[in-house]
Amino acid sequence: MNCLQFENHLSDYLEGVATSDQQAHLNSCSACSGLLADLNLISAEATSLRESYEPSPRVWHSLESQLRREGLIRQASRPLLPEFFRRWRTAWLVPVAALLLVAAGIKLYQPARIGDNQPVAKQQPLATPVMPAVSAEDRDIMTTVASRPPAQVAAYRNDLAQANAFIRDAQEAVKSDPNDIYSQQLLINAYEQKQMVYRLAVDQNNEEEQ
Amino acid sequence: MFSGKCAAATIATVLTLVGVSLCADTVRKDLHFKVGKHPTISINNPYGPVIVRAGAPHQVTITAILHSDKVELDQSKSRNRVDVISHLLPGADLNTGIVEYEVLVPPDANLTLHSDNGKVHAEKLHGDVTVAGNVGAIEVIDCAGGHIHVRTLNGAVSLNNVHGDVEIMSVGGDVVMTGVTGAQVAVNSNSGRIEYEGDFGGEGEYAFTSHTGNIEAVAPAYASIDVLARSTNGIVQSDFSLDPKHAPFLVRGANSLSGTLGKAASSVKLFSFSGKIRLKKRQN
Repeated sequence: MNCLQFENHLSDYLEGVATSDQQAHLNSCSACSGLLADLNLISAEATSLRESYEPSPRVWHSLESQLRREGLIRQASRPLLPEFFRRWRTAWLVPVAALLLVAAGIKLYQPARIGDNQPVAKQQPLATPVMPAVSAEDRDIMTTVASRPPAQVAAYRNDLAQANAFIRDAQEAVKSDPNDIYSQQLLINAYEQKQMVYRLAVDQNNEEEQ
Repeated sequence: MFSGKCAAATIATVLTLVGVSLCADTVRKDLHFKVGKHPTISINNPYGPVIVRAGAPHQVTITAILHSDKVELDQSKSRNRVDVISHLLPGADLNTGIVEYEVLVPPDANLTLHSDNGKVHAEKLHGDVTVAGNVGAIEVIDCAGGHIHVRTLNGAVSLNNVHGDVEIMSVGGDVVMTGVTGAQVAVNSNSGRIEYEGDFGGEGEYAFTSHTGNIEAVAPAYASIDVLARSTNGIVQSDFSLDPKHAPFLVRGANSLSGTLGKAASSVKLFSFSGKIRLKKRQN
């Protein structure tokens, strides 16, 4: 098993359905074991964070809206996310939001056989997407990097804009042909790029705070 | 005549003093560690280059040049793991925070390297190499047997003579691969250009995708590949006469192609949203 295959089945692993191949790969791959350690750390830290760090409701609203536009969630009869998630610090929220988006993308990636008539993606009446100029998550990231030199801040803004443009274009491609697994893959790649931008921004911030 | 000599002497003196003062600000540190088989070496250097080469087995030698007293080295070793961090102190910036690393590691070492603006270079290694960067160039040369993971925002990525699983993600940095083969070679770029020159060997899966960046692959006539290429809003060109093959999407006009060459041992997928895709035949 390689890293790509491990990441493709990461959600299964996190849900407790681990295979020997996954475990063997984890034991030999520092990158994947690091990723898993990060996720476990986030999960552990989340429970100990204080109420005062509760993020703005608009962040959750924006995230929910984006997932709903993707057709990845339906009208929820219960809150979208458990209560304790709401208590996370903003600094944790950003990479976690990105991870959720990527996980959603991975869930979306269900290869269709040639000739299948059933759409791969869940079809829902989609409202015309109105992408905010700057999303709440992006504003949080830009706040995180705001203390850096102006050139770096501008570079992060540009990187985020590029990742967002990629996501928008890939979304359009998926909408025009929901059965096209390659458009779905482009969308996953676009989300992964945004996750990378988030992660590198937060990682560097943590270094500077050490 | 005299005044000319005097001026030259004055300039030379000033330059010497400046040079001496600059040298006086740098501090060299040498670190040595004994390690076992397959050690894990992690170097986190916000500002400055990290150059890593294969050295003697069971030994890690790190030479660090610190450019000011605004940065210090934090080092730790536990079991078979060595961590070195350039610790920025208050007031450190892009210039005063620079540390230059030259590192020798056992060839079987697993590396995790990070530099925001410095070059990262890894050479002649057999273990896993994970690199994260921001704008600095990333070079991986003559590496085989491990996983190569590269993440960068805008740094140029160059892989030369690399054999193993490869995963590269870049937003704006160009990615250039020469003589790269592996069971899985995946590049995910946004606006950065993707260039590949090689034979797509190893019966592997090669997947290069971009948003707006162009993708160019140069392969020899003997390449054995199964090609699927599409640019949603760009054009796709090929120098090869591929044997037609059914594609899982409508192959139309100049923005997609599907076909095989030779025994189609390796899978090659080239996808872009608006970048130009070109599959070129290598001229010998």
